[in-house]
Amino acid sequence: MSGEVTGPGELRLGRRAFGPRQRLVMAIVNRTPDSFYDRGSTWDEAAAMDRVHQVVAENADIVDIGGVPAAPGSVVDVGEEIRRTVPFVAAVRSAHPDVVISVDTWRHEPARELCAAGADLINDTWGGWDQRLAEVAAEYGVGLVCSHAGGLPPRTRPHRVAYDDVVADVLSRTLAAASRAVRMGVDPARVLIDPAHDFGKNTWHSLEVTRRLGELVATGWPVLVSLSNKDFVGETLNAALGERVTGTLAATAVSAWLGARVFRAHQVRETRQVLDMVSAILGELPPARTVRGLA
Amino acid sequence: MITAAALCPSPPLLAREVTGRDPVVPELRQACAEAVGRLVRCEPDVIVVVGPAPVTARWPAGRRLDLSAFAPHAASADMPDGAGAPEVASAHHLASAASALASDQPRPPDGHPPLPLPLGLGARLLDQAGYAGPRLLEAVGYDEPAAGCVALGEQIAASGGRVGLLIMADGSARRGPRAPGYLDERAAAFDAAVEDAVRDGDLGALLGIDPVLAGELLAAGRPAWQVLAGAAPERPPGAEILYSDDPFGVAYLVAWIPGQGRRPGSDPRT
Repeated sequence: MSGEVTGPGELRLGRRAFGPRQRLVMAIVNRTPDSFYDRGSTWDEAAAMDRVHQVVAENADIVDIGGVPAAPGSVVDVGEEIRRTVPFVAAVRSAHPDVVISVDTWRHEPARELCAAGADLINDTWGGWDQRLAEVAAEYGVGLVCSHAGGLPPRTRPHRVAYDDVVADVLSRTLAAASRAVRMGVDPARVLIDPAHDFGKNTWHSLEVTRRLGELVATGWPVLVSLSNKDFVGETLNAALGERVTGTLAATAVSAWLGARVFRAHQVRETRQVLDMVSAILGELPPARTVRGLA
Repeated sequence: MITAAALCPSPPLLAREVTGRDPVVPELRQACAEAVGRLVRCEPDVIVVVGPAPVTARWPAGRRLDLSAFAPHAASADMPDGAGAPEVASAHHLASAASALASDQPRPPDGHPPLPLPLGLGARLLDQAGYAGPRLLEAVGYDEPAAGCVALGEQIAASGGRVGLLIMADGSARRGPRAPGYLDERAAAFDAAVEDAVRDGDLGALLGIDPVLAGELLAAGRPAWQVLAGAAPERPPGAEILYSDDPFGVAYLVAWIPGQGRRPGSDPRT
């Protein structure tokens, strides 16, 4: 693991600091009319703010706000992305001064405006396509997610992607990006790596990445996983979009067991319960309340 | 002399083991098996598998498909066979393929460059059809100009004896909003023109395909179609389309292109 981290394995986001055994829920709040899962349910600003209140009440550790869907479709230019997300982030910051806000963007122009509006973490899922994100993160003292998309341009689908060793490729790209971020001045305690399931990967690759997640964890960088309702769950179980929560939670439990620390999710309550259960099984979290047989 | 040709697509999912528990496209596999079966029953002196790849090169005939890069952990029926880097046959070395070959071929950990997918799938189709005769595996470069493809096709046709051709080629991957390449409105007409040329026996029309457009449409088969056109420019009517569909947004075309030179008294369709 590189450089100067304050406490061993500490992850800093905003004003919070999280120890290596704390598993965090990153709640998805999309500011799009057409994201794959929520399909515009939080396109309306009031609905989006309600969702933020709800996830904060459900103890989400991070609220992840994004304005552009991952799938190809109608173009969302920088101006439109800023319009969808920047005032909203400012409003969330105002309503919840202490919540950690991450912003799901791959472009430096919105990233800059979003950091100015109060974002704590740049959640780039497209593998550093825009290399200036690291500069922005350094400039504003925020965190950066270094993800793997296999070199795919943003908003494109994998087509016959092949890797001699997908995990080796994930490690190579994310570690290079993490090192570069630190060299550019990003606080190493604010850097995460993310294999980005299904980005530039088919279901076999995503399953392999999950199976071998321990290799990412072993690097010492905090690992973020975004599993929620993804196609690799759907293809594994032959489950339609609305029927993937169980599979998602199974993958969540396995990833938590293997040491991932941040879990980007639609279903906050269920994810929190899975993480707490795994932590308790691992002996890293006391159960909530134990009386039976002890009275 | 080209005795007959079979045309098949080359998606990874043509291999049964990569689609998981669901066979997904049994009818596509069946159509390919039918086309290749007819080719094998023609009893050619050699079958030449032609498919697109980063560079134009001949691959060792014993090489087999390794799907582990597409489907790690899936059961694989075929394991890579024995030796060696691909040779570049000087007879059809048209660009600076030799030097490009040495540096550009990806090297998997065991030291073997991976066999291009279209050739691997073609080789597997031959194996599954029970073909035990001589075969050649010819990769044609993605960027090989039409003239180069034609020359390669002519050389294959002139290589002596009765040659069966197995052309592994895909149409556009931009057939709809859910396609891997999303939707390009030009894709449908592009693929229809290719199908018409094949069906009507006007293979020379394939030479008019704009390689830039083909590239924009993610139609990887362009150079392989043009090798076909070079090998057998005029075919008698009777090319049979066995499958034409785009279930996943990529155009798959399976065709049987009979020709002269059948052994008297044999009909490969029986």
